Amino acid sequence: MSLAFDEFGRPFFIIREQERKTRLRGLDAQKANISAGKAVARILRTSLGPKGMDKMLQSPDGEVTITNDGATILEQMDVDNQIAKLMVELSRSQDYEIGDGTTGVVVMAGALLEEAQKLLERGIHPIRVAEGYELASRIAFEHLESIAHKFEFSCANEEPLIRTCMTTLSSKIVNRCKRSLAEIAVKAVLAVADLERRDVNLDLIKVEGKVGGKLEDTELIYGIIVDKDMSHPQMPKQIEDAHIAILTCPFEPPKPKTKHKVDIDTVEKFQTLRQQEQKYFDDMVQKCKDVGATLVICQWGFDDEANHLLMHRNLPAVRWVGGVELELIAIATGGRIVPRFQELTTEKLGKAGLVREKAFGTTKDRMIYIEHCANSRAVTIFIRGGNKMMIEETKRSIHDALCVARNLIRNNSIVYGGGSAEISCSIAVEAAADKYPGVEQYAIRAFADALDAIPMALAENSGLQPIETLSAVKSQQIKEKNNCCGIDCNDVGTNDMREQNVFETLIGKQQQILLATQVVKMILKIDDVISPSEY
Amino acid sequence: MASMMQPQIILLKEGTDTSQGKPQLISNINACVAVADVVRTTLGPRGMDKLIHDDKGNTTISNDGATIMKLLDIVHPAAKILVDIAKSQDSEVGDGTTTVVLLAGEFLKEAQPFIEDGVHPQNLIRSYRTASYLAIEKIKELAVSIEGKSLEEKKRLLAKCAATTLSSKLIGGEKEFFATMAVDAVLAIGAEDRLNMIGMKKVPGGTMRDSFLVNGVAFKKTFSYAGFEQQPKKFLNPKILLLNIELELKSEKENAEIRLSDPLQYQSIVDAEWNIIYDKLDKCVKSGAKVVLSRLAIGDLATQYFADRDIFCAGRVAEEDLHRVAAAAGGTVQTTVNNVIDEVLGTCDIFEEKQVGNERFNIFSGCPSGRTATIVLRGGADQFIEEAERSLHDAIMIVRRALKNSSVVSGGGAIDMEISRYLRQHARTIAGKSQLFINSYAKALEVIPRQLCDNAGFDATDVLNKLRQKHALPSGEGAPYGVDINTGGIADSFANFVWEPAVIKLNAINAATEAACLVLSVDETVKNPKSESAQGDAATMGGRGRGRGGYGGRGMRRR
Repeated sequence: MSLAFDEFGRPFFIIREQERKTRLRGLDAQKANISAGKAVARILRTSLGPKGMDKMLQSPDGEVTITNDGATILEQMDVDNQIAKLMVELSRSQDYEIGDGTTGVVVMAGALLEEAQKLLERGIHPIRVAEGYELASRIAFEHLESIAHKFEFSCANEEPLIRTCMTTLSSKIVNRCKRSLAEIAVKAVLAVADLERRDVNLDLIKVEGKVGGKLEDTELIYGIIVDKDMSHPQMPKQIEDAHIAILTCPFEPPKPKTKHKVDIDTVEKFQTLRQQEQKYFDDMVQKCKDVGATLVICQWGFDDEANHLLMHRNLPAVRWVGGVELELIAIATGGRIVPRFQELTTEKLGKAGLVREKAFGTTKDRMIYIEHCANSRAVTIFIRGGNKMMIEETKRSIHDALCVARNLIRNNSIVYGGGSAEISCSIAVEAAADKYPGVEQYAIRAFADALDAIPMALAENSGLQPIETLSAVKSQQIKEKNNCCGIDCNDVGTNDMREQNVFETLIGKQQQILLATQVVKMILKIDDVISPSEY
Repeated sequence: MASMMQPQIILLKEGTDTSQGKPQLISNINACVAVADVVRTTLGPRGMDKLIHDDKGNTTISNDGATIMKLLDIVHPAAKILVDIAKSQDSEVGDGTTTVVLLAGEFLKEAQPFIEDGVHPQNLIRSYRTASYLAIEKIKELAVSIEGKSLEEKKRLLAKCAATTLSSKLIGGEKEFFATMAVDAVLAIGAEDRLNMIGMKKVPGGTMRDSFLVNGVAFKKTFSYAGFEQQPKKFLNPKILLLNIELELKSEKENAEIRLSDPLQYQSIVDAEWNIIYDKLDKCVKSGAKVVLSRLAIGDLATQYFADRDIFCAGRVAEEDLHRVAAAAGGTVQTTVNNVIDEVLGTCDIFEEKQVGNERFNIFSGCPSGRTATIVLRGGADQFIEEAERSLHDAIMIVRRALKNSSVVSGGGAIDMEISRYLRQHARTIAGKSQLFINSYAKALEVIPRQLCDNAGFDATDVLNKLRQKHALPSGEGAPYGVDINTGGIADSFANFVWEPAVIKLNAINAATEAACLVLSVDETVKNPKSESAQGDAATMGGRGRGRGGYGGRGMRRR
């Protein structure tokens, strides 16, 4: 810390608790920051690409997560270093905005930092490095636009969408059924998409998982699944042409919210009260019957008496259904949520072609399927898998695939994957570098080198010779003027990503480059770190 | 001998730390210079950021002088003055906070050798005051007014000012983009002086270029109950009802209790309660409003009721957002649903719920009165957005100030060099010690271009000499020359549109001089011992007051 001295030459305090604070400044601070950032990138580097490995993370309370998703890994790692936290947020914001490419963006930022360090050691001003990076990122951004392909799809032709989702899924643990999962993801997104506004509300896609069965049993249901069973075991298990009453009021005598007290001083009064309560139940069930409901879905519970009554009146019911699910059911079946029995009318009932209760395997678990709904704008993806970790990872993978499909609906441009886009950008940036006078030129060239880090990591993870492979592909791109050459991770035998059908979304790639540059600039711009030295 | 036998008079409480005289003055100066050194490197487009990490685990990455000074948590009494002037600069003009600290530090540094040589501080103070007066006159003379230009041109010029501020910040790479945004936002709220009409919303994710300006109000989707998704999410020209009541089924009076003697009356009580809420909801619907916002909760019952009637509602809207909607849409916030007349309903061109990053936003755009603007900031990390917000705040303040006192000066250290030259020239006409002091004041002003060069890694002496030569040209054509940050040479700042509102410089010089004079006028510090018990609390309060009075007062008396 900066010290000042008093008249006797003793240092005195300017800042509160000065002795307990540490301060790093100048090049030391930058180097420390860079190495923190690089450390994070190094962790994620091995999970990049189709041959990338997974990480096992154990939370403080013993829960185990196995994942390949960059954002999830970093989130669970609980990093303490400030710069490392920035990298975590970088990955998170890629996740928020695009949903995919969370590993790539961190690896990219790590590579940029590594290159920056070399330049700093040569005495180049960090801000000039950052500015050079910014120039280069803009070149790469525009270059991506120029090599992007627009591709047409429609509800009838979903093949291109499926292919792109497959690229995303291929790096995940679920890649053995990537085809079927990709199909499910695309169909789900198309079902809820508003193609005119190019908007997809992913909230309408419910992803539900259940341990047991195998991954291949994962299915898409045009309707809703509720993890509940009928309130009475003797109620019918299957209802066709169901008219559903969706209630947010309990099957019990209404209670005024204001504090109240009923004075009962005679036996008669007690009897009346008792009868009245029974009458309430009766009326409620009758009301549901009257409007023609054949199934009642209730947000609250109801006691055994009501349950018995419902059973007697042959009105199946489901209780304790969560608010979000209730809403989805209402949307799917075209019904209205009814807050009061008096408001129940025939128009407000939801309609579903089939409601059935399904039991799984030998367990007693049962779930309710609501299918063939009037409006299929709400769908459910039902995941099966051998264990809980597997299901959780599949959920994350499906989420990534859904995001990719959504991004394509928003913007139907794609670039080719397998590192081909990065290599192509690297060549373009390298070529553009020479046009810039001044120190920035070095930074731009460094940016080009950093772009090579992604194909390099891909090759490395796939067990190929990284440098040889990269240089071979690079020269091929230049020689054949073909910007679709990438790393052949799966050993298919061709480098052309068009033939391999490896696509990525344009906006995802662009976002990766811009975000990584932005965060690197932020890190480079810090030359002074003041922190309490306790931790 | 007899006098020596007299008992010692204990004036101050035991443990009180007093120091006085010249050494005290020198040590105060040292402390201030040390503080100025902390923010030194953040100046200018090549200035670096500081990462400050406090005990609570909050991290701030900033380039803003006032923010850094505030977070440093300075306890040294003299150095605290610098924190105060940075704060006052921030609240007065919004930018130039680093400049003001740096200038004050430099004035003191220049004064130090004179103090050591035995010059009376009051002599220095007087000369500094004269110099600052002359400097301010000179700035006023050099300032170029942008009054009377057409709106289009004014907009362009204001954007230049904002861009100069932004160039030193993290978002400097996109300065044109954000400068235009700041100008649009300020012009949108018009002449009104209500800065809280510009809202800033932060959404992590996306790149900074994804930030956008809404000519109206935007806020994050509030907590919603089941049934919300069934409401329509887009309206054209909707009527907007703003409420400050709860639309929920609840007990009407907290302490009331109903006593029933007859169980048959039970139903009527229940019905009565339902009727109250239904009545309220019905009145909302009858008013013709299509969007209902409330500062308090809108319950699930109401949500579903509105969903049935194709009305959008949002409860628990933050108060400032609600007031902005009121100002923008031209409605008034109602505390009852009775007698809702058309005049209290607001309207806007488009209301829409939109996905921004991971959040859904309610956006009201194209509002009739147009007195509000909302900036939605995007960025890769929380700290990034925080810093972007601070930077944009600076830019907005600058634009506002420039709009009011519409005169600008050239930046890049040009104005400082010019004043410095002027003061040197003036000093030569003075006989006496003052000449030296004004000269040193002039030298202190050169710290701005010098620091700009240092931060950029240029040879400061070289550049400074080039600038001195340019500014000394008798024709005066060299006046707008400042440091060229890109090449390491000098350039005409005015022609390159490196502009600052004159008011920043005026305020900075004033405040820095004031602070320097204040520090110079102190010759004794009385520091009370720390109180140990709770009972001592009151004693400290009094003590501190006395201490403060002590050092200000005594200094004054000896003038």
